[in-house]
Amino acid sequence: MNASTDHSTDLERMLADAAHYLPAQGPIGVFIHHNTLHAFEDRPFEQAVIDAARMLKTEPFLSETRYREELARGRIRRADIDAVLAAEAAGRPETTLADRRVPLMELHRALLLHAVRQESDAAVRWTLTESDAIERLRPDLAPESRRRFLTADRAGASIRRDGPTVIDGPTVIDDDTAEVDDERLACRALWHACVEVMARARPSILHPRPPVRHRDLIVAVAPMLDTDALVHPLLIRLCAAFLDQGVAAWTMPGRESGLFQSSARLLSGRLGPTAAWSRSLPAAMRDVLGMTAEACVERELANLGVPRPEWAAFVTESLLALRGWAGMIRQFEERPDRAPVDAVPARLVDFLALRLVCDRIATEWCGRRMGFRPNGTDPWLGGFRSELLDRFPPHRGPGTLARAFRLHQVAQLVGLVAGDIQSLDENEVLRLEHAITSFDATTRRRLFHLAYERRHRIEILDALAANESVVRPASVEPAARPTVQWIFCIDERCESFRRHVEELGAAHETFGTAGFFGVPMYYRGLDDWHATPLCPIVVRPRHTVLELPLEEVAGLHAMRRSLRRRYGQITGSVTAGSRTLLRGGLFAPLLGAVAAIPLVARVAFPRLAARIGRTASDLGRHRIRTRLAVERQADPGFVSGTQAGFDLAEMASIVRRVLEDIGLTSGFARLVAVVGHGSSSRNNPHESAYDCGACGGGRGGPNARAFSMMANDPRIRELLAAGGLVIPADTWFVGGQLDTCASSLTWHDLDLVPAGHAGDVARMRDCAERVATFDAHERCRRFETAPPGMTAVEARAHVEARSVDLAQVRPELGHATNAVCVIGRRQRTRGLFLDRRAFLVSYDPTTDSGGTILARTLAAVGPVGAGINLEYYFSLVDRLGYGAGTKLPHNITGLVGVMDGHASDLRTGLPLQMVEIHEPVRLLVVIDAAPETILTAAGSLPAVKRLVENHWIQLVSWHPTTGRLSVYSNGGFVPHVPERRDLPVVDRSIVWYAGHRSHLPPARVLAAMGPSRHAPGVRA
Amino acid sequence: MTGHDFVSTLIVLQLAAPAASLVVIGLPALFDRNLSETATRRVVGGGFGVGFMAGLCMFAVLASRRFAPEIVHAGTWFRVGHHEATIHLVADALSVPYVCFSSGLCWLINAFAGKYMHREPGFTRFFVLLAVFGTGMNLMVLADSIDVLFAGWECVGISSALLIGFFLERTNAIRAALRGYVTYRICDVGLLAASVVVHRAVGTGDFDRLFGPEWPHAPCLVSSTTASIVSLLIVFAAMGKTAQVPFSGWLPRAMEGPTPSSAIFYGALSIHAGAYVLLRCGPLLDASPVASTCLILIGAASAAHASVVGRVQTDLKSMLAYASMTQASLILVEIGLGWRVIPLVHVVGHAILRSLQILRSPSALHDRHELEAAIGGHPQLGGWSPLAWLPSGAREAAYRIALERGYEEMAVGRFVVGPLTRLLERAAEAESRWVAWLAGERKGTRM
Repeated sequence: MNASTDHSTDLERMLADAAHYLPAQGPIGVFIHHNTLHAFEDRPFEQAVIDAARMLKTEPFLSETRYREELARGRIRRADIDAVLAAEAAGRPETTLADRRVPLMELHRALLLHAVRQESDAAVRWTLTESDAIERLRPDLAPESRRRFLTADRAGASIRRDGPTVIDGPTVIDDDTAEVDDERLACRALWHACVEVMARARPSILHPRPPVRHRDLIVAVAPMLDTDALVHPLLIRLCAAFLDQGVAAWTMPGRESGLFQSSARLLSGRLGPTAAWSRSLPAAMRDVLGMTAEACVERELANLGVPRPEWAAFVTESLLALRGWAGMIRQFEERPDRAPVDAVPARLVDFLALRLVCDRIATEWCGRRMGFRPNGTDPWLGGFRSELLDRFPPHRGPGTLARAFRLHQVAQLVGLVAGDIQSLDENEVLRLEHAITSFDATTRRRLFHLAYERRHRIEILDALAANESVVRPASVEPAARPTVQWIFCIDERCESFRRHVEELGAAHETFGTAGFFGVPMYYRGLDDWHATPLCPIVVRPRHTVLELPLEEVAGLHAMRRSLRRRYGQITGSVTAGSRTLLRGGLFAPLLGAVAAIPLVARVAFPRLAARIGRTASDLGRHRIRTRLAVERQADPGFVSGTQAGFDLAEMASIVRRVLEDIGLTSGFARLVAVVGHGSSSRNNPHESAYDCGACGGGRGGPNARAFSMMANDPRIRELLAAGGLVIPADTWFVGGQLDTCASSLTWHDLDLVPAGHAGDVARMRDCAERVATFDAHERCRRFETAPPGMTAVEARAHVEARSVDLAQVRPELGHATNAVCVIGRRQRTRGLFLDRRAFLVSYDPTTDSGGTILARTLAAVGPVGAGINLEYYFSLVDRLGYGAGTKLPHNITGLVGVMDGHASDLRTGLPLQMVEIHEPVRLLVVIDAAPETILTAAGSLPAVKRLVENHWIQLVSWHPTTGRLSVYSNGGFVPHVPERRDLPVVDRSIVWYAGHRSHLPPARVLAAMGPSRHAPGVRA
Repeated sequence: MTGHDFVSTLIVLQLAAPAASLVVIGLPALFDRNLSETATRRVVGGGFGVGFMAGLCMFAVLASRRFAPEIVHAGTWFRVGHHEATIHLVADALSVPYVCFSSGLCWLINAFAGKYMHREPGFTRFFVLLAVFGTGMNLMVLADSIDVLFAGWECVGISSALLIGFFLERTNAIRAALRGYVTYRICDVGLLAASVVVHRAVGTGDFDRLFGPEWPHAPCLVSSTTASIVSLLIVFAAMGKTAQVPFSGWLPRAMEGPTPSSAIFYGALSIHAGAYVLLRCGPLLDASPVASTCLILIGAASAAHASVVGRVQTDLKSMLAYASMTQASLILVEIGLGWRVIPLVHVVGHAILRSLQILRSPSALHDRHELEAAIGGHPQLGGWSPLAWLPSGAREAAYRIALERGYEEMAVGRFVVGPLTRLLERAAEAESRWVAWLAGERKGTRM
């Protein structure tokens, strides 16, 4: 008894450990960005991505080719490579190779700057016969190293020297033919030397660890047999049927007994033939009927003959083999509240048990196919497994020719001539070779990546410093009262919108705060049928807010609702019926031709069709004025255990907190616009990934509206004033929502605006419309299908059409290109063109003593920003392993996720079309605070601390008084040394971005600079 | 220009326009000089557009003449002995409306795909295949001889298979393409054999020697035995493209391709190609009760199969694939019952409805949320079904059968493909032994 409990806790622990590595993406209807490698956050970033790559068979960084392209076009510079290598070598004793001829760092530098192909023996043989690779020196050698080779050979002896670039015997050869002959001689001599030393020295043979799963062993031994290819289609079908949230008309019988038992019931039936491999599956399923999944897992592990110490690894690998589905089952198990329709009783252990039974049957079949004869004992797979292990092919390293070829290439790069190579003893040759091989592709890519990030960091930090040198003196003079203060989400897509608002004139000020505006709530709009949470995913709201029609239109609302329901029922049943036999047979001939109208309209005139469709389905929605019930109601009546509305004290603390966070505690304008955001698009299963991350993949308009209602309430203002936060009586808050896809704005509660403010609001709305047009124009520069010479008005129409077009796979580009997060006063960054790549969080260090505000800002922003940034990073560096691949074959399954085609693993992560223009760099978080304040604030938050200390974000302190920038590195801050102090200057943003499609460096936009700030600099 | 010449010009234009667009974009692609995306889209769209307009003109001309059929003799394809394959095209009450509909749909899908396929590495390839398909479809529809029809039929088949395997880097897509292709080839034997029988019977492939020109009520001009043989072979051919039992396994897999090609092939045109050919050869079916009965049985079995299996599909595209199969099978039943106009209307209506649904399938979540908001809850799916009457044990068994796709694939795999491959393996083994023995013998004699 005792022993079995031990086993079951063992198993639980194993499962919990393994589940950690499964994709943590929930049902796709609510897509929440998170760090793809969250499970590895306890390790330093560079180590984590490499470990994860090994475990999940994915890519840790971009490809080496891609980095070399970036090097060639100057995105990575040689200085970056040198700096990265120097940092890498810091603290290590200097090493030299090849009898002290070549410093190790020099070798690394050469291998980074020049591509050295590692080819197989066969390829080398081909190269030797078909090309002049051993007759000619590499074309990418520096002229002086080239000359050294030619002269060295002419001298017929090796020449000792200090470094590879120093030229000895500067004989200039002007005869071309002589040079070709010399080159051939030198190159061949080098080749022979390399072959000779390589033939003498033998590196030790590598014995790779064999895989733990039978499937991997079988594939390695008999490549035509793959048990996963047999088992997965069946598993996918069962998992999809089990998790289905309402696609199939007929749900799986016995779902309530769990995946394992319901599948076992189904598969144990005696009816019908089976596939060749699964002939014994029904019998096996009959055996496990009624057995617990845990017991079945143990039994099958024993049947499969897996030694107990390897169980954990075996379980992990088995789950990872179909990780999308396994992960979704885990999500249903852990967060049943997030199930779209049915919280089916999903358990990961059920999945594992089912999988292991199928695996065992398939393995037995393969064993028989491979001619393995069981010698009578019942569980014979253990014997089969040891035979597979015996037959597992050892890893053969490259042969002599391939090794010689590699040495030949490297010797040229580091300036070792034939004589040098020949003079090396066996030990030195092996050391040199080991130095080359241990600087493997992963190491090179890691260093390239660091160099890639370094260049971006320097560019941004230089721009920040340069911009501030202009802005700082101006900040002391008191400005006139601003006309409008705009509060946006921190989202980097709002950066351009804010910049264009500021270009309207100095009278406009902007702020950024997490787009739920401090109002965590379940919200049910007038047209919604249930309440959805609008707040960051880590928060569980305790309040529910409803949108209710006003008394006088209640009758109209009721009429509209019944009309809408009738309409929905008809369209719903026609759509569903068209898929059935009888109704379909009736509808298709009768109604099919009518469908030609929407078909032609949707495809040929998407924008017009959408407008008509909207008007039709609106059914007079605009005539029903509504209010949010933000204030506590008498009758709660919510099953979810939440309260209806907030009480006054709660509302006052929400308003206070947001205003303090953004540093808006005095100098209020007459009008404060609070703008949340969301995104609407078609042909896009990932639609909610484009919505507001701070609203948990929802739209932030209702939060902005609720916040404005709270801030306008005189009773709340009284409470705030009592606490020292005085909002002038003539200040009015207006809530709105920005659609980041269509670049359109909607405003709420305009009928409540006091008469005295009507003019201001009208002007503000005008401004907003103009800004939305400019913003659309700036966005269009990224779309290849938007012609470059577009006017702003055309651009607005273009983005609107994109958002409703069924054929458009890139309705908007989402968070692609995000790279920077600035937490600080806007006046320090105002006027800077940041190319929609920066999260801008308002924070005023001068009003924050002790860093408490910073701590709560970091707690909200840090994990969300890093999550978005890292999800884009991983989905781009491995488009299939971490990302969802191209969208074109995606197929929505069970309303929980997408598959490629008709039966594949669930594709988690982001599709290619979302990430293709992204630059994978870790988020550069620049905080307007002293290093000590930052460390204290981050230290108090475990989640942020982990991200910072393990370098999952790049942290920079921007000193509030001295303006000094310093970069966090291994526990301390290193001062940033600016490379350039000037910044290109343009009048308006459009001048800077017009005609460009790719990423743009920062520039100073004069129109956005703010009041009376003179701006010296070079005009672009 | 006489009326006849005018109609001939229009017919030729309908074939020439998409074929010309194919050459314009295909030729440079052969030399690795792909046209720009916009140019590609416009050229192919232009081809379909011209075809569609020509179709409309022809419709007007024909309508003014109460759909008196017009046959165009465009020459002889090839001649073997005294058999000749002529290129005869026909404009009548069946082909003209159908060709308008098919080129119009191609035109629309072309506009859709121009945006959908943006930046895809296989962009040109997709449009080349679409143009091959469009040309083949028009050829098939306008054909007035079984040889021309076969040529069009093959163009449709090959473009369909290559588009299923459009994503070359994915094993599943290639497997699915191969499965589709093999199914097509097996069933193509039917049409080819029918062609041989027709040539044998009347010395030429022309339809006007098989039945009279007035569609749909034309007299059959050959003996009922010949009519039966030919129509049975054509029914066999149609079973592949229309995904009838036991050849239906490829259809859900065909959804591996890009959405617009899935819509036009498996929602609209390719899936109905078999029905079109049967409609064209309707007079033969009328003369052969055996073939009609077979058609009704096969169609009914497939409709039942597809509608039951479709009810348990949990992914959008498989569900739509089975929905397509259900209606396509129903259409075959209608044809078997001797109806002609109703199945034609059914084909057109179903094609439009289904392709719209497939094009919308990536927006399913959006549509679903809107629907839920409108009716204030989760929609009840499927509604009433005769399956609800089954006792619970039988329902569970039925569910299993549906989940295993009616055991069709397993049965075909185990009882047809398996034995066949084993037989081939044995044959190969025997051959090598035989050769070795022969070689050994010779060596022996020499020594």
